[in-house]
Amino acid sequence: MSVDVEVVESAQPDGVVPGERGTWSLSWHGLRTVAVLELRQRVRSTRWKTALIVWFLMVGLITLLTTGAFSILSGDQPGSDEPFGGTVYSIVVGFVLFLGLLVAPALSSGAINGDRNAGTLATLQVTLLSPAEIVLGKLAASWIAALAFLVASIPFLVWALVGGGVNWLALLTTVLMLALMLGVVCAIGLGFSAIVSKTSGSAVLTYLTVGGITAVLPILFGLLVPATTTTESVRVWDVEPGYTWEETTAPECEWQTHEVDVWHSERTWWLLAPNPFVVVADAQPLNGDPEQLSEEGNMLAVLQYGVRYARTGDTGPQDWCSGYVMDGNTIQPDSPVEPVKVSDQLVWPWGLGFDLLLGAAGVVVAVNRLRVPTAELPQGTRVA
Amino acid sequence: MTPDGGIRAQGVRRSFGPVHAVADVDLVAAPGRVTALIGPNGSGKTTLLLMLAGLLKPDAGTIRIAGADPVTQNYVARSRTGWMPDVFGTWDSLTAREVLTTVAAAYRIDAAAGLARASELLELVHLSELADQPAHVLSRGQKQRLGLARALVHDPDVLLLDEPASGLDPRSRVDLRVLVRRLAAEGKTVLVSSHVLTELDEMADDAVFISRGRTVATQSVADGDRPREWRLTGLDPEALTARLDEDGPAYRKEPDGPGVLVELTGDAAAAALLRSAIEAGIDVSSLAPAGGVLEQAYLALEEERR
Repeated sequence: MSVDVEVVESAQPDGVVPGERGTWSLSWHGLRTVAVLELRQRVRSTRWKTALIVWFLMVGLITLLTTGAFSILSGDQPGSDEPFGGTVYSIVVGFVLFLGLLVAPALSSGAINGDRNAGTLATLQVTLLSPAEIVLGKLAASWIAALAFLVASIPFLVWALVGGGVNWLALLTTVLMLALMLGVVCAIGLGFSAIVSKTSGSAVLTYLTVGGITAVLPILFGLLVPATTTTESVRVWDVEPGYTWEETTAPECEWQTHEVDVWHSERTWWLLAPNPFVVVADAQPLNGDPEQLSEEGNMLAVLQYGVRYARTGDTGPQDWCSGYVMDGNTIQPDSPVEPVKVSDQLVWPWGLGFDLLLGAAGVVVAVNRLRVPTAELPQGTRVA
Repeated sequence: MTPDGGIRAQGVRRSFGPVHAVADVDLVAAPGRVTALIGPNGSGKTTLLLMLAGLLKPDAGTIRIAGADPVTQNYVARSRTGWMPDVFGTWDSLTAREVLTTVAAAYRIDAAAGLARASELLELVHLSELADQPAHVLSRGQKQRLGLARALVHDPDVLLLDEPASGLDPRSRVDLRVLVRRLAAEGKTVLVSSHVLTELDEMADDAVFISRGRTVATQSVADGDRPREWRLTGLDPEALTARLDEDGPAYRKEPDGPGVLVELTGDAAAAALLRSAIEAGIDVSSLAPAGGVLEQAYLALEEERR
């Protein structure tokens, strides 16, 4: 602080009126003042350091255990040098995200109502900081605190990558998406902390919201399967009628029409999109062959293909005939049905967009609540 | 007084749901003077100060702080107002110096000037020795002094002090009084709310009395023409009362002491009474105003309300 010589608009002791600044005025100086104030208080609390150490140990333990388990498994099969990195990587990423979703609400959901209860919010509001500077400064501080947890897990992500099987570019997208998701959760927590007077209340509401997009929406997606499944007449490239499978000649394939249950997941895929795990998984570069997914055990890639197939949904004609193997030869290798391509069916931009909107809503709500002079007070709160 | 200086509030009202915290307050506080805001607990003092500080929007009425309307020109009004709240919350893990440099930064003062200002203010409120201690080790009175320093960081034209003396030791009270008088002498407008009237007596020039959210009276403390009660004691109370019966102003016996209470107008009347008593051979041991001006005015108002 003391070496800082940045020139900012200085106080006007001679009574010159400084320019009017509104609720949404932003300055780097104001943002930094609030963020530094918040971070100083956080850094000095021992609780936070303990949490960071516990986090480091937990992620480390999980990485060690999964790595050990898969080393033993692959060691059991002599000659197998299958890379198990994908499995370990996806487990570590999932675990980091899971813990992050638990920690981030705790970091931000007391930022405004906690200060209000301690009587320190109004002392900031009367200064020349704009409400937007106070809110975004607090958001920056809680986000930086959340990112410290993410940084503490990066060594383990890199370690898992060394195991092989995962594109190095995936590390970049994964860390970026994890960071954005933590920021969104911080912003949601901040919004609730401006509405609710008790810090425990805002924490619960934040957890419920995160739980809603992470668990409730996918469950809804599952429950809607019967509603989105319809019986339709579908053209099927099928085995010729009367073929018994005991003959030595390969079956002839032909177009038939069958009454089939078709699941239109393309109508409800968006319920999966806001899920943070989906966003993180889908944003990684699409790699490998979908046929080998189950063998590689990269659960992030499985999730990625899963949501992309869900978005693609019903593709029309089906192929029930091609691909059978008889006497070592694949029969009917050429199918008139186009294989499903999922590479361009991106899900994460929609999910990320929705989540960012949620976060932005939290910020807007918080800024409006900090507007001075206050016209209405939330139930059970004092100004100072 | 310039038309745009000081604090002017007219017909200010604010309610919280069904509670009319401030029902109708008129208040004028002039630059260069200390104005006392006096009222019983729950009379709306703190709510009024929140509105003057630009934190709370009045339901009705107009406010001008150094010429700026805190509702429409909130930023300008805030830049000229220093507010010291009654409930003093502080950033506990920060040191006293950091609290002040943070507030200076929040008032958009650059870092070097903020640091210099912090040292100056710590000196002013006698906290230099504790400057680098975390704020949570400060006592209540020390926190109160830090709160006062915080309100002064940006050298405001208008100071709003909500119960500034609560928790202060006698030495600090004297310091507070001297400081407040000095700030007023520099031309600042100072509004002090309190219900400790004796301390306001020595500090304030004007007084505004509010009760149940309304302005009930406005008066000048230094107003010498107003009759007030004086307490008179003599070595021989009987002789004293006999003398007063014979030739003197109306009096009443002090309910819980040996003296009598006389209502006199101005210091000259008191001097005349003392001279006549001595000339008559009465041994007067003391003659002094009974209670403060504000206390008497306040009690008189209470009396009227009953």
